This record gives sequence, C-alpha cells and structure tokens, in this order.
Amino acid sequence: MASRHPALEGYTRYRAVGQLAFLLHRITGLGILLFLVIHIIDTSFVYFAPELYDEAIQIYRSIPFMIGEIFLVWSVFYHGFNGIRIIIFDLWKPEWWEKDIAVKSVYWTLALSILAWLPAAYIMGRAIIENHFMGG
Amino acid sequence: MKVTLKVFRYNPETDQRPRYDIFHLEADPNDRVLDLLEKVKAEHDGSLAYRRSCAHGVCGSDGMRINGRNRLACKTLVKDVGTTIVVEPMLGLPVQKDLIVDMEPFFEAYRKVMPWFINNDPPPEKERLQTPEERARFDDTTKCILCACCTTSCPVFWADGSYFGPAAIVNAHRFIFDSRDQAAAERLSILAQEEGVWRCRTSFNCTEACPREIQITKAIAEVKRAIITGRLD
Ligand code: HEM
Ligand code: SF4
Ligand code: SF4
Ligand code: FES
Repeated sequence: MASRHPALEGYTRYRAVGQLAFLLHRITGLGILLFLVIHIIDTSFVYFAPELYDEAIQIYRSIPFMIGEIFLVWSVFYHGFNGIRIIIFDLWKPEWWEKDIAVKSVYWTLALSILAWLPAAYIMGRAIIENHFMGG
Repeated sequence: MKVTLKVFRYNPETDQRPRYDIFHLEADPNDRVLDLLEKVKAEHDGSLAYRRSCAHGVCGSDGMRINGRNRLACKTLVKDVGTTIVVEPMLGLPVQKDLIVDMEPFFEAYRKVMPWFINNDPPPEKERLQTPEERARFDDTTKCILCACCTTSCPVFWADGSYFGPAAIVNAHRFIFDSRDQAAAERLSILAQEEGVWRCRTSFNCTEACPREIQITKAIAEVKRAIITGRLD
C-alpha cells in the first residue's frame, strides 16, 4: 500500500540496483555501530562492574552470538569494500558513475565481500562446532 | 496479449486512503504503458487522472512508477515490463490525484540553482563563441526534460524533501560547466549548502531512472569535485 512515508515505501518497494548497495551500506554501517556500542559497554564492566563482565563474556560464547559475529564480519567486509568503492568513484573516477559501470560495481563489491568473508566464516563456524558440539 | 493493469487511485479530497484499481486489457506488445492508460480513461473509467502532453518522450509530463521504477509512460513498452503492470505516482511529492503529483517543490529546488544563462558582458555582434570541446563539456546535462524521474527515485529526497535533488544539480551542472556562463562560483556556493550536493549518497537510483540517459551521478560527482577544488576542468 502507498504509505505516508515515502522513504519507507521507497526503501522497501522501489526497484533499483544502486539502492541495494545504499541499503546494505546503511544496514551494515548501523549494525557495526550497534555492535561497537555494545562492546564498549560490556568492556567497561571490567572497571565498573567486574561481576557482570564474566557474564557478558559468557554471552559472547553463546551460539546465537557467535553466529551473529559471523555476519558481523561480513558486514565489516561489505561496508569497507563498498565504502572504498564510493570513495574511489566519487573522489577519483567520477566517470565510473556511468550507469553500466556503476551497476556492475555493485555486483562486484558484493561478490568481493562474500569471497573475503568465506575463509573467516569457515574458521568461525568451525570454532562454534568445536566449542559447543565436540566437547572443546 | 492480455495484460493486467493495476493502477494507484487516490483523491485526497474524498478518499480516506489510496486504493488500486485493476483493469484487464487487450494490448499489443508494442503498445506503450501510456496507451493502456489512455484506453482505461476512454473505455473504462474517465475519472482516471494522469499528466501527459507530447506522448513522445520530450515534454517530461508523464513520469510515474511503473513496476517499481520511475519511467515515462510514453517511452515504456508493454513487452518490456511484462503482462502484470503496476502503475503508481512518483514518490516524495504530494499526490494531487491518482498519478498526478504536485511538482511545485521540485521546481522550487530547480529555481534555486538559477537555471538560466548569466553573462553580464556586453553581447557581441553575433553569437558568443565556444569551441566544440567547450560545448561537449556540458552536453549530457543539456538533455534534461524536467520529468522528475530522478529526484523522486532518490532515497535521500524521499527521506528529506529539502534536498535539492538530482534534477536541480543536473541543471546547475549545465551552466556551471558552460564556458560562456559567469555565475559558476555562485551556483557552486548554492550547491555547497546544507541542502546541496553533499546530501547525495551516490546510490545512483537517479542515473538508473533518467529516461534521457543522463549520467546524473557522474555530473553530481563533477560538481562535488568543482566545489572541493574550485576548478572547472
Ligand atoms: C572499514 C572501514 C570503513 C570504511 C572504508 C567506511 C566507509 C564509509 C563511507 C565512504 C561512508 C559514506 C557512504 C555514503 O556516502 O553514502 C560510510 C558511512 C557510514 N559508516 Fe562507514 N566505513 C568504515 C567503517 C565503519 C565502521 C567501523 C562503522 C560503525 C561504527 C561505520 C558506520 C557507518 C555508518 C552508520 C554510515 C552511514 C551510512 C549511511 O548514511 O547510509 N563505518 N562509511
Ligand atoms: S546518486 Fe545521489 S542524487 Fe542520485 S539517487 Fe543517489 S543519492 Fe540521490
Ligand atoms: S535528469 Fe533525467 S530524470 Fe532527471 S528530470 Fe532531467 S530528464 Fe528527468
Ligand atoms: S507525454 Fe511527454 S514525455 Fe511522456
């Protein structure tokens, strides 16, 4: 339905390749920020509330959190690569904003971020299995 | 072929909320979406409201969202969009009726960049000369027909209508990089304001939407660069 919030309707229903990168960049950026804030708070427990610190560390070792971290790593890769793409295009090669090149660059960045992420995902996934299912 | 046309309907004066009307039509694959709207208006529902004038992609009055993307209805063939066609007004400008949006905020931003030729030197005998290279420098941005397909596809504009938007920047670019014009510095300082080019998040929805295939995001990047360096090369 047409909403009264053009941004919400646009983000969810408008069809464009460039918007995909825009949304992923924003979501991953906010995701990393959220994680960083949580991490700063729980680390500060060492000083302010040492008894809570150990509990926080336990949460980091839980399965959902570790799976979340695997996606966090992808977010960092995607946000970093896409950020570099934007910086190169905008500051150095404006002619690369031409439609065909720009569309391709979105797919390339996505592929690159997944490629870079796979080894890390493998190592982290293996750690989850070893720690939780193999009596590690 | 048979097509299903789903059209956004809304009359703010009488309707509580928008609705979609569905029309089953017989169409030729080479018909344009505009032809379907004309058919609905002539044969099914005369109250359907939309803008169109030239019907040949030059006046810029029938920009609308067709299957989720901004396009000109008169330049969009049925065979290119499929047999189920959803037609909705452009986003981010107030709907006046059905597919007609209020273009005034769009033109207000356009006027802010002073989209007219400025040169206070006494006019020469004949025309003001310019080399082919100088003319080519801004050729791309002369093609704009002010259809608003770009500005209303821009995620930044949706979120905040005070952003000048890509169309205004395209039309500023057309004069900023014209060697005969003398107000580049003034236009650049306007575009360096809070509502100007730095709002652009480079998502290039605008470039994808432009029916004139203007390389809008590139033009915006050139303006950004001119603001940073103060050079117009
Ligand atoms: C790997 C290094 C990083 C690079 C190269 C990078 C690059 C960028 C760039 C170029 C932008 C502007 C994008 C635009 O113009 O639309 C941006 C936006 C942003 N970044 Fe980063 N960034 C990095 C790390 C981070 C980190 C660690 C965080 C979180 C703490 C973060 C959070 C954000 C957020 C929230 C935005 C705003 C997104 C938006 O406006 O949609 N970034 N980043
Ligand atoms: S490139 Fe800039 S102006 Fe164009 S749609 Fe994206 S944010 Fe808007
Ligand atoms: S730049 Fe293209 S999409 Fe934008 S108003 Fe001009 S013609 Fe329309
Ligand atoms: S009716 Fe003139 S551009 Fe489509």
